[in-house]
Amino acid sequence: MTDRRALLAALAAAAAATLLPRRVHASGTGVRPPGALPPGQFEEACIGCFRCAEVCPPKAIRFPSALSLDAVHPFIAARQTACVLCMKCTLVCPTDALAPVAAQPAAIASSVRMGVPLLKRDACLPWSGRGLCRLCYYVCPYAGTAVELVGPRLAPLFHPEACVGCGLCEEACPDEANAIRIRSPAEVAEARG
Amino acid sequence: MSEVQSTPRRGTRSAAAGSARARLQPVDIVLRRARWFQWVRRASLALSLLVVVGLPLWQLRVAGAASGGLSAGGGWSWLAAALGLPPVPPPAVGAPAAVSLFGLELLDPLLTLGVAITHGLRGSLLLVALPALVLVAVLGRFFCGWVCPYVPLLAASNALRWVLGRFGFKPLDVRLPRRTSLVVLVAVLGATAVLGTQVAPLVYPPSIIGREAFRAIFFGSFGAGALVLGAAFAVDSFVSRAGFCRSLCPGGALFSLLSTASPIRVKRDASRCTDCTVCDVVCNLGQKPMSDRLDAGCERCGKCVSACPTGALALGVRAPAVEKT
Repeated sequence: MTDRRALLAALAAAAAATLLPRRVHASGTGVRPPGALPPGQFEEACIGCFRCAEVCPPKAIRFPSALSLDAVHPFIAARQTACVLCMKCTLVCPTDALAPVAAQPAAIASSVRMGVPLLKRDACLPWSGRGLCRLCYYVCPYAGTAVELVGPRLAPLFHPEACVGCGLCEEACPDEANAIRIRSPAEVAEARG
Repeated sequence: MSEVQSTPRRGTRSAAAGSARARLQPVDIVLRRARWFQWVRRASLALSLLVVVGLPLWQLRVAGAASGGLSAGGGWSWLAAALGLPPVPPPAVGAPAAVSLFGLELLDPLLTLGVAITHGLRGSLLLVALPALVLVAVLGRFFCGWVCPYVPLLAASNALRWVLGRFGFKPLDVRLPRRTSLVVLVAVLGATAVLGTQVAPLVYPPSIIGREAFRAIFFGSFGAGALVLGAAFAVDSFVSRAGFCRSLCPGGALFSLLSTASPIRVKRDASRCTDCTVCDVVCNLGQKPMSDRLDAGCERCGKCVSACPTGALALGVRAPAVEKT
């Protein structure tokens, strides 16, 4: 009955493993899909099953290709493809690393915080006086609250507390400006120190 | 308790004097010399591959239809379009390591355990994990022989070993003890606990294959997971026959542990056995049916049963041997 003994030993080892001190807390800095648990907790719960990415209509959810501890965690590179806030990914997660969110503007606005936009004003066309762009304002699902146009040049002013972080503004920002970048909550926390 | 008293079969269990066993007679699933049984297993493996490749393709088609053909190109979307799949969401999502099949969640026990260690048994995790655990408890380590999408690669590596042998380069066959996989399992789970993130999906082939197939189909590229797969293939091809599956895979180790109570076993009728060793040779996982030395590492593939020329082997269902000391 060595198998039974081995089973007991493995269960004991698993129990002991939960008590091991967690010195490192691996958390990537990528922008996670909507409904994701806070940084750190998401990396604990995500098993890299890619179901969220598989059901994503615009194919916005990707996986890092390098071999690292972050390789199994989905991220959104909004500059290439932004999230369209359909919330399909939140419904298929087996471990609730992504919690279900109803696909309604109010529900999304209250519970989704994928990241916050960082605007480089010297690169932004209206702010630097190079043009009347306003693309970010036009693509924003929460235009008026998450972003408003200010001043005589109608330059964008972001309000991170009302922004869900979908990254449609980052995707739409013209290549010659490339002034907007969505920063994940982990990155914001890191920058804060 | 009043079990049906079935007649003893051909004296395979001669005078099982134990009380529990005497009441619950073993039943044979008679597959003596049945080749068709292996075709059923191959069909199951093919279905598994169909899930791995077909679901991402189908989702590409759905995405393409939703965007009116304006975007969702790239990867193998041309193939998805050529196949003419219906542009409605498929009835399943995921890959064999974590699949939702017609609403039924099948989550690999290794992945469940990893999340339980780092994140705790929160929410519906136990509920999601239960169907797979029940399957393993009853069917044993069947996943490795019937579902794992690594099996085609293993078959390719065995074919490569055969070809190399024909050309006079006999590959090594180092026989590490199966216990080594337990060490790997404990190491993976320990690393998971210390690092606070999931390590198993980085090294566990079913998980890697699903993710890499998805990446190839959606984006037309490969990730570093392909290197891990390549390493496993190299070990199986040049160092040890099925060495990765038998003595390195953490998932296989966990399946073996969970299947100790499985009632499905390979049984031998000693009066028919001619000691020809065919069964020992066909087994990928180093089991020894000819001398009745099978342990929880048996993947219930039934290759030995189908290969036995005299029909001495059968898959049997019996009560767990609790009375054995």
